[in-house]
Amino acid sequence: MSGDIELVGVFTTDGACANAIEKLHHASIKGFHTFSPFPSEKMAEAVDEVREWGKSSVRKFVLAGGITGAITALVMTVGTSWEWNLNTGGRPIASITPYIVIIFEMMILFGVLGAVTSFFVKSGLPSFEPSSGYRTRFGADRFGLVVITAESDSAKIEAMMRDAGAEEVVREAA
Amino acid sequence: MAAAVDHSSNYNDLSYLDVDRTAQRVMAPAGLKYWMWVGFCAFLVAVGGSFWTRQIYEGLGVTGYGQPTLWAVYITDFVFWVGIAHSGTLISAVLFLFRTRWRTAVYRCAETMTVFAVLTAGLFPIVHLGRPWFFYWLCPYPNERYLQPDFRSPLTWDFFAISTYLTTSTLFLSMGLIPDIANQRDISIGWRKKFYTALACGWQGTDRQWRNFSMAYLLLAGFATPLVLSVHSVVSWDFATMQTPGMHSTIFAPYFVAGAIFSGCAMVLTLIIPMRKMLHIEDLVTIWHLDSLGKVILFTSIVITYSYSTEAFLVYYAQDPIEMMTFHQRFFGHQGYLFGGMVLCNCLIPLLLFSPRIRTNTIWLFIISIFVNIGMWLERFVLIAGSLSVATIPSQWKFYVPKLTEVMLTIASFGWFLMNFSLFTKFLPIVSMTELKEGIGWLRKSGRNTYPYRKAS
Repeated sequence: MSGDIELVGVFTTDGACANAIEKLHHASIKGFHTFSPFPSEKMAEAVDEVREWGKSSVRKFVLAGGITGAITALVMTVGTSWEWNLNTGGRPIASITPYIVIIFEMMILFGVLGAVTSFFVKSGLPSFEPSSGYRTRFGADRFGLVVITAESDSAKIEAMMRDAGAEEVVREAA
Repeated sequence: MAAAVDHSSNYNDLSYLDVDRTAQRVMAPAGLKYWMWVGFCAFLVAVGGSFWTRQIYEGLGVTGYGQPTLWAVYITDFVFWVGIAHSGTLISAVLFLFRTRWRTAVYRCAETMTVFAVLTAGLFPIVHLGRPWFFYWLCPYPNERYLQPDFRSPLTWDFFAISTYLTTSTLFLSMGLIPDIANQRDISIGWRKKFYTALACGWQGTDRQWRNFSMAYLLLAGFATPLVLSVHSVVSWDFATMQTPGMHSTIFAPYFVAGAIFSGCAMVLTLIIPMRKMLHIEDLVTIWHLDSLGKVILFTSIVITYSYSTEAFLVYYAQDPIEMMTFHQRFFGHQGYLFGGMVLCNCLIPLLLFSPRIRTNTIWLFIISIFVNIGMWLERFVLIAGSLSVATIPSQWKFYVPKLTEVMLTIASFGWFLMNFSLFTKFLPIVSMTELKEGIGWLRKSGRNTYPYRKAS
């Protein structure tokens, strides 16, 4: 957006970054994103409070994958047994008990594939365009909070970040 | 006598950047000694490959296989390597679900070991086949005769279990690597930067990415936990569902799972003790981590001893003469010394780990881990080749002795495994930087300035 400013707050601890997110929340500012070198519980809780995300929908993909895998295995084992309909010693053509092993393994396999696929899709990966405000130190030892705001509000937000403990706040054109 | 506890752990002053610097140092371009080691491993693989080529050309007659022992060293190697793989999943997935803090420094090593051990294990059923080029007959694929694998067979279960396990462990390892690879991408130059950029898939550690990563990783750990129990249970059913005396036992599934964790943790120690010395990562993998692994080995050794006792007790309690004869042969027969060696390595030597002084001494730990590896290989050999040798009427008994082909292929499997593992350590982070940093955060949050730490020997 023309005339907007990107403020990149650099924090040494996740607690300070979470503190800054809470301040933004109290000021009803929701247009931000964060970077961290590891999954910080404090930051995740603060972001969740603002965005009211709830639990990740990755779970639904995993459930769908698991159910698909189990049904696929059931159809494959029972279907192929019926197709080659050979009675051996009066035993059932389709013996469900030994097939449970195959059903279990395929349920796991499809569930895992669902988890990994949904992680990539929901996280917007692969993506070779860097997010705005990214610094290489955010993958190493610093926590980042990036806010895109109107020029008129930038001074107030910068003050909030510094008040929360930002080591540095960089202003860039959005 | 308890060893002195030193609270001046290296973690005390460790910063996030120190973790990155150490990982970067480990992955720095390798010297001549490293490449000589990798070359030596590759040479072992080449020698094994030539013996396998000869076996394919001339047939299984070049091995010591013959009636009644048609399963021997190759299947022993298969079960051994699958077992090695298991502790990796235990450390990475099960201990992750229990939020066990000591796993952070060693889990990547264990996970890597899992993937390469399963890859190695997967080769042996193919090597064992008389016509290895038909290995794909185990896959359910559409064919003109409408023939499908017998889904009631434990060998078919094995195919599904091992392939699922390999896929899951590879994905679990790869997903955990992404944030660390992104970190390497940001600090690398040249071809490494391009390599890590491609592998990192654009990871930047945003709130959205971490949120989905944490959930997917948790669910993968949740899937891997029952999987690890199921895979070795399925492997045990390859034997337990047979009518063969010495194998037909309901205790096999839990007994195999405990044995797998036991041997796998020992292999983690065998790999990580020299590795932390050679790569200078004593700051990250401390004596505390090795001590914790030692305790797991001690516990599983006791479980294994209990399993051996229960297995023998059930046989003598049931008073089945054929089973009793098989066990008598196992204990006191022609190859009874192998059983003795197995008990010594798996039940008696690990008891030394009751001593905190030994658990915190890297040399002792390394020696014990080697004995456990030998003992667990012997256990599988005694169980498979030993039972089959005497499973028929006595006039048909024949004690199996491996020939050079089996010996060289077994040695080559170690070369293959160590070559892959060594290459991994130089090109990808062998210690999880992300989780170590998270661990430091946990220390600060909990107000603890140090991990419990015993003085290094």
